[in-house]
Amino acid sequence: MFANKLLTAIRMPWTVGRAFRDRCVALSRALTGEDDREGRGTMLLREWLSPEQCAQFDANKWFDVIGCDTGKRYRIRYGRAANVVEISEEDCPVVGWCFVPRGPLVAGDVMLAQKIALESDEHAALSVAQPFPVQAPLHIRA
Amino acid sequence: MPTQIVMDHTGDTRHVFDANDVEALAKAEERFKSLVGKGSTPAVRGPAGEVRITRSFDPTAQETLFYPRLVGG
Repeated sequence: MFANKLLTAIRMPWTVGRAFRDRCVALSRALTGEDDREGRGTMLLREWLSPEQCAQFDANKWFDVIGCDTGKRYRIRYGRAANVVEISEEDCPVVGWCFVPRGPLVAGDVMLAQKIALESDEHAALSVAQPFPVQAPLHIRA
Repeated sequence: MPTQIVMDHTGDTRHVFDANDVEALAKAEERFKSLVGKGSTPAVRGPAGEVRITRSFDPTAQETLFYPRLVGG
């Protein structure tokens, strides 16, 4: 058993290294309480999402919001930065918008603040946001 | 019971208060003003789940959420 593991480690050091790193990251997250914080953030986000948005988030780790001022659609992906993308009517990415609430917040909190800002005060949110280029998925490009 | 939810590094901190308790109500209003003064944005959720940003303290709101000032990335 041990010999097999050792042999695997020698043959595929990158795989073992990655597994070891993943375990270290998981242990670190458990010890620092990061998992709890992320969980609380996600729970708060889910409480404030509409049923449609909640279903999108559960299925894809993203959800769409409609800007209150322009009617444009934005996709908010799971993340803490550069995670908002304006979506065209053809469901293609148009431009990214980077804006976040100040401070060390978890992803769920960041996403919720972005949702509320776009749905309730879109112009104010975009006035501080930095645009960034996005590429359409390969299957959509001409 | 009305709750003020403040986003922070722990995920969030919740302050539940009794709207019929004058002292608790005053404390909640003070917290509202303090957070807004520091740049936080308060949002409330209506009975149908609709979310809107508010500018004044509403003692009847069941949940008021505060998120920090937005900045460009």
